[in-house]
Amino acid sequence: MKVMRFNMDFQENNKEYVFFLSGELDLSVAPQLRLALEPIVNKTDKPMIINLKDLTYIDSTGIGIIISVLKLRREIKSSFVVREVPESIKRLFDLTGISGFLCDGTENPV
Amino acid sequence: MKDRIDLHIPAKAEYLHLVRLTLFGIASDIGYSFEQIEDMKVAIGEACNNVILHAYRDKEPGILKIQFGIDDQGLNIHIKDEGISFNYESMINKSTNVHEDSLSDISIGGLGIYMMQALMDEVEVRNYHGTEIILTKRLRGS
Repeated sequence: MKVMRFNMDFQENNKEYVFFLSGELDLSVAPQLRLALEPIVNKTDKPMIINLKDLTYIDSTGIGIIISVLKLRREIKSSFVVREVPESIKRLFDLTGISGFLCDGTENPV
Repeated sequence: MKDRIDLHIPAKAEYLHLVRLTLFGIASDIGYSFEQIEDMKVAIGEACNNVILHAYRDKEPGILKIQFGIDDQGLNIHIKDEGISFNYESMINKSTNVHEDSLSDISIGGLGIYMMQALMDEVEVRNYHGTEIILTKRLRGS
């Protein structure tokens, strides 16, 4: 039985594109996350959401992916929202300074 | 009293979770708080990422050696490889976090170094036949 330590669940409705990330986001799964985000990152028709409520671990490669998405979405003037950030992950976002750039969709900083 | 626990893994990302697991086991036994353990898991992950990404570039993945040193101050973690020496001095100048002006030129490698330094009490780097990163976190008074 192979254990999935990281999972991505993509949902699309008429309002937004949402990626639910759960488990541990480290170097081993970063490439597969990038691949999954790629087709959506360039879409300007709807906001792009990443929901982290079940994420238990992130490292600099994961934060780097979020930064890349942030920059790209800014460039194409499209909305990017990071929702339900767990406290332990938020600590890392605060530490690295990325918190100031992220919105949780309620116009409040993460 | 000093004890040492060694973990040798191939320098491949798929084994990173074993490093976190071992760290969790040792650090909880010693009595670190949940938050301290979370910090160490990220810091050790960053050090290992550097080995996996850079030490054996263009060669067969080599060995990543981790030594957990336990003494009465707490834990010191040695992350060693035998590959291309990691030029810490040049990287330390790129240690960076994200602030208003830098979003456009953030260096992700620099972010990893920054995180190690912010999450541990001490970070030491030695270069000889490869690279050794020593991460220290005191059980009390950090």
